[in-house]
Parts: sequence; structure tokens; C-alpha cells
Amino acid sequence: MSDPPKKTFVITRFDPDVDEVPKTQSYEIAVDPDWKVLDAVNYIKDEVDGTLSHRWSCRMAVCGSCGMMVNGEPRLTCKDSVSQYGDTVEITPLSNFPVIRDLVVDMDGFMDKFKKVKPWIIRAKELAAEDGPVRQSPEELEEFKQFSMCINCMLCYSACPVVSNEPEFLGPAAIALGHRYNVDSRDEGASERNAIFRGEGTVFSCSFANECSEVCPKNVDPAAAVNQAKFNAVIDWATGLVLPSGEKE
Amino acid sequence: MARPAHPQAMQPVKPGRTRTAPPTMPPQFPMTGRYRAYTLFDATGFLYLFVGFVALRVVWALGTGSAAWASIQQQLANPLYIGFHVITLAAVCFVAVRFFGLFPKAQPPRIGPAKPPPGPVIVGMLYAAWIGITVLMSAALMGGIS
Repeated sequence: MSDPPKKTFVITRFDPDVDEVPKTQSYEIAVDPDWKVLDAVNYIKDEVDGTLSHRWSCRMAVCGSCGMMVNGEPRLTCKDSVSQYGDTVEITPLSNFPVIRDLVVDMDGFMDKFKKVKPWIIRAKELAAEDGPVRQSPEELEEFKQFSMCINCMLCYSACPVVSNEPEFLGPAAIALGHRYNVDSRDEGASERNAIFRGEGTVFSCSFANECSEVCPKNVDPAAAVNQAKFNAVIDWATGLVLPSGEKE
Repeated sequence: MARPAHPQAMQPVKPGRTRTAPPTMPPQFPMTGRYRAYTLFDATGFLYLFVGFVALRVVWALGTGSAAWASIQQQLANPLYIGFHVITLAAVCFVAVRFFGLFPKAQPPRIGPAKPPPGPVIVGMLYAAWIGITVLMSAALMGGIS
């Protein structure tokens, strides 16, 4: 039986207590062709170098924890097979994020942006329990279902050139989530969110690179959400000019 | 090594307790992989700016008199000008193809009670409009429509 093939993993390392800037470290390991990239990183952590830090959890593309740059592209490492890469695999932390340690990025900036879009159902007046649930047709569900499949893996942020340059930009996943609620037939908070979308450096900063949708592992299509949100934000603004007292509908 | 991103990119409102390494841009940005098409798409704006200047010059010549008009026509026959316009035409075609491909995504799920047609139909309509207008303008320029 032949030896398993070897691959070299060039991994970015950063220890905030020691390093001024991130550096790279190479690990040559024998890989099982059935491994995912995450399996290789876990092997290095468990068997070769216990000081390596990275995030992971579910191993089935649901939790969104194991996003990393693999050969320069944001990837969910539990989804990609090692065999789809060559003899050398370069792994770096997600672009556009501050790095806490090795492959672990600081997610707090992302969470701050998330909260801004009010990602919950807003009702002008809550219904009493005895009134029963707010009903929704399959067609109404279909309008936002795609955007609700986001797993917050942050690959879209890592691919977006606008996020690189405009810190105020809310970014693809947050806008997609806000848009998801705006087109939800049960929600009545679209005007609040549209005002946030129209604010400084938000939806209109998007220059439609479409990279967020290209790298999304769940086919959410954040670029569609962002550009539909632009349209709705303008319509909402124009409607506010025409109708008295901001009355809509 | 990737270029540094804006130092405040994705920084939290409240800084954490540990020192962090600054964010970097996507390594393939701006001229590798899929970013190349995006960068070229945006860079065509410079060509349109120059075309705008040329158009202003032509309009100015038209308003100045027949001598200026004849002169500008002679200048536009220069191979450099022709080359510039060929490059601009290629840029317009490139932008149109990319824009037509992305346009269906930007359609809202509904406008009032109306739902937009499926994506391929929208793309087909855009190409049909493009071809139709091109045929009409070509016919007008060739004297077929007076």
C-alpha cells in the first residue's frame, strides 16, 4: 500500500504577545484524500503544533465558524476537500478583519454592524395572543427565505473590496439580514431600516463587485439583497416625500 | 502579502483587550481572479470621461463654424482617435455584458403588486433592447432613416 500523499500547509501565525506583524509557518503533513481542509488544520493543531489557534465547530457547513482564506479565497474549510488543492495550501485568517491570533479574527465589528440593522420583526402594534399567529403564504415566505439562510460565516465580508476601504459600510451579511426582514410580510419596520440603509456610507457604498455572492457557501446571494435594498431605500425615501407625515401603505 | 485594508475596517466600536494585527485586503484584489473583471469594469469610467471631453470638443466645433467642424472631422480620422474609439467600444460592450448579467439580481421581489419576470427573461429583454437600438442608430447614421 502506497504512502498517503504529503502536502505543505503554509499557515499565517500571529501571537499578539510576541509578534509585531503576522508571519507564516509551513507544515508538511501526510493527508488522507478524504480530508477536508479543516481536518488538515485540526491534524496540525492536534499532532504537530498545539499552539496553532483556529475556530471550528460543527464540521457540516452550518455553524459558520471555520471560515479562512485558502489560497487567497475566503472558504468554509469544512466544505473544501484537501484534494482539490495542489501540493502547497496557503491558509490565512479572513481578510478585512483584525486578527486576534493565528487564524482567529475579531468578530465584534461584525456584531456591531449586525445590531444596527435591527434584525428582528418589528410590529407597529403587537397582536394579542388570542388573535392567533400572523399568517404567511408560501409565496410570501419565498421572498425572503433565501436571505434567511445566512450562517454568519463572514466570507462575504472577507471578499468585499468596499469593506476593505469603507469602515462605515454595513457590509453584505448585515444588509442581507436587514433586507430579509424588510421583505418579510409580517414585519412593519422597513422604514426604520431603510433610514439606516440610507445613512452615511451604507447600502449605496456597494459598487456591485458581486464577490460576496461568489464566495457565499450557502447561496444566499447577498449582492442581490444589497442591491434590492438600495432600490427599496430610494422608493421608501421618495414615498416619504410624497405622502404626508411619512404615511406609507 | 496582501495589502493593508483601512485600519478601521471591521474594527469593533469598543476595542477588545488584546492587541490585534491590522486587517488586510483580499489578496487577489484588485487585479487577480474575479476581481480583475470588477476593476476593469470600474476603470472604464476613465474612458467615458475622455469620451465626454471629446464630445464637448465636437459640439464646440459644431457651434463655431464650418472650418472648425471640418478640422475636428479631420482630427477624428486620425488613427489614434480611431483606436481610442475602438477601445471605448470594446469597453462599452464589456460593461454592457457584465451589467446585463448582474441586473436581474438588483430587481426587487415585487414593485407594488407586480413581480419582475424571471432573470433570463430580463437579460433577454436587455439584449433585445441593446440590439434594437443599435440597429436603429446604425440605420439612421447610414441614411436609411431620414
